[in-house]
Amino acid sequence: MSEKHTTACGTEPFDKTYSLGYQVHHEDWSPYPRVNRLRQTFLDRPYEIDVERLRLVTEAYQKHARAPRKLQCAYAFENVLLNTSLYVYDEDLILGEIAAPAKASPIYPEFSVAWIIDEILHSPFEEREHDQFYIRNDKERQEILDLCAWWQGRTVADRIEGRLSYDQEKGSEVGEKIFQTNLYHYAGTGHLAIDYAKLMRVGYDGLINEAKARLSELSMRDPEYADKRDFYEAMIIMHEAAKKYIERYAKLCEEKAAEEKDEKRKAELETMAANCHQVAGGVPQTFWQAMQLFNFATTLIQVESNGHSISYGRMDQWLYPYYEKDIKNGTLTKEFALELIEVEYVKMNNPTKLKDKGSMAVRNGRGFGGESLTIGGVDKDGNDATNDLTMLMLEGSAHTRMMNPWVCVRMHKDTPYELKVKAVECIRAGYGHPKLFNDEPAIKGMMRKGMTLEEARDYCVVGCVEISLPGKEYGWHDAAYVNTPKMMEMVLNGGRSMNTGAQLGPDLGSLDTYQSFEEILESVDKQFEYWTDQMCSSLNIIDNAHRELKPLPYLSGFYQDCMDSGKDVTEGGAKYNGTGPQASGMATCADELSTIKQLVFDEKRVTGAELLQAIRDNWEGHEKLYALVNSSKVHHYGNDDDYADELFKFMFECYCRHISGRKNPRGGIFSPGVYSVNANVAMGLNTNASVDGRKKGEAISDNMGPVHTDAGSHDVSGPTALTNSLTKVDHSLATNGTLMNMRFPQEAVAGIEGRDNLISFIDEYMAKKAMHVQFNIMSSETMRAAQKKPEDYKDMLVRVAGYSAYFVELGKPLQKDLIQRTELHF
Amino acid sequence: MGQKGMVFNIQRFTIHDGPGLRTEIFLKGCPLRCRWCSNPESWMLQMQPGVYRSKCISQKKCGACLDACPGGDVLKFYRGKLAAIDREKCLHCLACARECPSEAVKQWGEWMTVEQCMKIILKDRGYYERSGGGVTVSGGDPMVQSDFVEELFKACKEEGIQTCLESTFHANWKDIEKVLPYADIIISDIKHMDPEIHKQYTGVDNAKILENLKRLSETGKELILRIPVIPNVNDDMDNIAATADFILNEMNGNVRTLQLLSFMRLGEEKYDSLGIPYGMEGVKLNRKSFQKHVEKIAEYCNGRGIHCLVGTKEKE
Repeated sequence: MSEKHTTACGTEPFDKTYSLGYQVHHEDWSPYPRVNRLRQTFLDRPYEIDVERLRLVTEAYQKHARAPRKLQCAYAFENVLLNTSLYVYDEDLILGEIAAPAKASPIYPEFSVAWIIDEILHSPFEEREHDQFYIRNDKERQEILDLCAWWQGRTVADRIEGRLSYDQEKGSEVGEKIFQTNLYHYAGTGHLAIDYAKLMRVGYDGLINEAKARLSELSMRDPEYADKRDFYEAMIIMHEAAKKYIERYAKLCEEKAAEEKDEKRKAELETMAANCHQVAGGVPQTFWQAMQLFNFATTLIQVESNGHSISYGRMDQWLYPYYEKDIKNGTLTKEFALELIEVEYVKMNNPTKLKDKGSMAVRNGRGFGGESLTIGGVDKDGNDATNDLTMLMLEGSAHTRMMNPWVCVRMHKDTPYELKVKAVECIRAGYGHPKLFNDEPAIKGMMRKGMTLEEARDYCVVGCVEISLPGKEYGWHDAAYVNTPKMMEMVLNGGRSMNTGAQLGPDLGSLDTYQSFEEILESVDKQFEYWTDQMCSSLNIIDNAHRELKPLPYLSGFYQDCMDSGKDVTEGGAKYNGTGPQASGMATCADELSTIKQLVFDEKRVTGAELLQAIRDNWEGHEKLYALVNSSKVHHYGNDDDYADELFKFMFECYCRHISGRKNPRGGIFSPGVYSVNANVAMGLNTNASVDGRKKGEAISDNMGPVHTDAGSHDVSGPTALTNSLTKVDHSLATNGTLMNMRFPQEAVAGIEGRDNLISFIDEYMAKKAMHVQFNIMSSETMRAAQKKPEDYKDMLVRVAGYSAYFVELGKPLQKDLIQRTELHF
Repeated sequence: MGQKGMVFNIQRFTIHDGPGLRTEIFLKGCPLRCRWCSNPESWMLQMQPGVYRSKCISQKKCGACLDACPGGDVLKFYRGKLAAIDREKCLHCLACARECPSEAVKQWGEWMTVEQCMKIILKDRGYYERSGGGVTVSGGDPMVQSDFVEELFKACKEEGIQTCLESTFHANWKDIEKVLPYADIIISDIKHMDPEIHKQYTGVDNAKILENLKRLSETGKELILRIPVIPNVNDDMDNIAATADFILNEMNGNVRTLQLLSFMRLGEEKYDSLGIPYGMEGVKLNRKSFQKHVEKIAEYCNGRGIHCLVGTKEKE
């Protein structure tokens, strides 16, 4: 156990036990009645569709039809900010929403509209099985249809679809879904954290002045003069609009305060108005003002674009000076600081995103997703960075237990004991937060992307598991999901689809013709090369479409390198520019290879032709073989068995090798990730039977996890064996992140000994250089009970992958997948 | 070196038998036949097949066990699926278990060398070191294979790994003595203080066990004692008082923790798989009131000055 200690503390003893797993009919979690009420108000509020953004953006584009694209974007943003409805909610302490009213989802027609029209007409959002959204009335429904009709042919998606060739399309979501590039095909990119420290230091005025200075310095001899001029002008319009928007809130607060009878609330409203006046252009003077500026700056990124995973950086670090100052001069108590943090946490749940059916299948949930809040870790000199806010931010998480924020604790060899205990107490409470990251491989991964050690040490997590550098990296993380078992189908079936027989990939042989196992491995390599070529070239088309049609000058203003160069983030203005597609179903492939190697080549128990026929027949009539491949008699990944683990390593390295180092149009490089989030479920639905003992339609393996089929889990050797298996690969190769879910039933971590054992487990897990881990402390029994009586489990969060979601709101196939994932026991 | 042990399970990452995170080696062979035993596959020293009918994919679709079995009329099917093994006729060759693709026949027991065990043990070394854990040898009763345990523990100590021995201690002192120098922690049961009742429920009387426990308490070894609290067998306060008296008077109170393990219906399907009738079939239990009673026992023992907890923990 760690020898290091910290004096940093929150409002509670560091070892306070919250609960063990989810409690039905639980009492309020927060000590602040206000927070509990705000939380309940959020949960009770409907998921509506807000038409205002669509209306105001369209109006601006139509009015400025001949303006350059960056300025069109700026006018649209300005029109929204000057005219959108504003609300001050009862008891709220922090202002600013992406939509009106809160929790409604805006529409972002700049990216895509065809699916909106199609779904309204043919499969209404209201009637979805899960992730429903509600259009407020028929008039608005018609308005949405009319406005979207104007956008047809003008969107990012239209531009992309006009350029993809048949070869690129056949593997994409419109074809066989071998790779899915949905997310940025139909919506914004996101996946970033801005440099909050700088924003706090200079405020909007500082940024505007900097842009003005750069604009005046521009040389007309610069061949890109006009592009850069557009950029600075657009940025200035947008940041000025932000100031006006904040002033609108100040005015509204003053009006509310004037009417307010309750003296305490009146004072709060007056302070909130004063906060707005201060941060509209100026820099925050207090902790509360810093939180207020943070919320405005962040939500406005989500008004500009609906890219997900707009993350909060290392919040305990950049926010600390304001906390420290107020505590020192006695104007802030820890208790009020925590209340503000909790109010903000509840608020972070308000942004919702209407997604198309296809994206929704890949990613369940109505939030944007991916709003990671990173705490802990080392500072730029490599020393532990834990402070009071680190602890308070965990306390706030345990007191609110909502989907957002996705708290992420950075762990390293000197993480203090008190922080580990606090983190594990949150984990034991069973709401899925926080996730844990491992500094050593993460920093190594950052340096692989070309960063200095000092920069690498400042990494934060954006989205599920992607490591990124705040204010310097525009990493296009989460760019695509690759269904590797589908690629394997091509390997085993002569490059042909098993459904239609159509020739899709190169014919390099099939399972009934390969003469040696080595030949199969070579074929995997070549098949992967073919499909990653298709995917990465498609992603570059998508990347260019964003650059051409939807630049992001408001966001770019927060990037120092964009400010310096006059280039938008979509044009490669950031210092580091990645593209990060992920591999899904790696263990499925590893177990397929292991089965073939053992049964066909080593033991010669079956022929390749027999195995191929078995999967063609979806295992029907091959029950004996089906039982065998699912039994522990066959080597399977996840059991600390080198035979299979080596093949997982082969797959992992093969994928990383084919992705790493490819160039993207922003002057950056591709960066491989190995995780599926929950896309493994949807991908499984359209994947044929596989040799690992999966039947058609079952989920493929999740993230770095082992295989579990309807016939049972393939990992049967417990969590240490699993850890050993997954640390046989070098996680730092996956510079876009790896993801590991582990699930323990409540009783496995009960008592002081249970807590200490979990800490020891995590310590050793990290010592073995795995990048990430997150836990579900939830038995299968609890999940089945929740399926039976969802009304009792309404706010039970479950860790899906990088994120937590309300279990009862998830689709049935995903619920099943979560239950089937192996329940580990100590 | 060169000893082989008859192992029926190696469980990595256990937390119940000894402190911290552990690897537990379960050895076959036991001189006792406790009616509540949850590991009936541990009784016999030899390898045995266990039958799990629900996993059988049917004789019609498979038949691998029938093809493999060298005996005649050994395998019994019910509605087309393997249901039982005629234990009289079975040659214990385990061919059926080896060939069964669906794990409907499970092989209980495997001869393993110390080296083979150590290879698995060493994989989790980091976890032991961080958590104060190590290796536990349990059973069955490992004293049945004391030579193997001696060598295994020696090997552990050479690697600096903490060891824990869990035994009934119905054994000869000379066997215990062999292992003792290499055992850091000892876990044992006191099932009943009355020799007759002890014999009735476990098949042996308790004289040897109590004598060994007394001697063990004089060795200065770390001792964890357990009472498997069985309703209407040993849960009366008279027996509990007598147990406390023994610990305090005969063992000088040299017990680190007294753990009360409430009776659970466990292992029924294993009895089924071995064709052995389950000994606790008739026991009906009100879980809540029984649990309260067990907590009362803990309170009583703590009142007597014995550190006593419900469950396999040592800290509250």
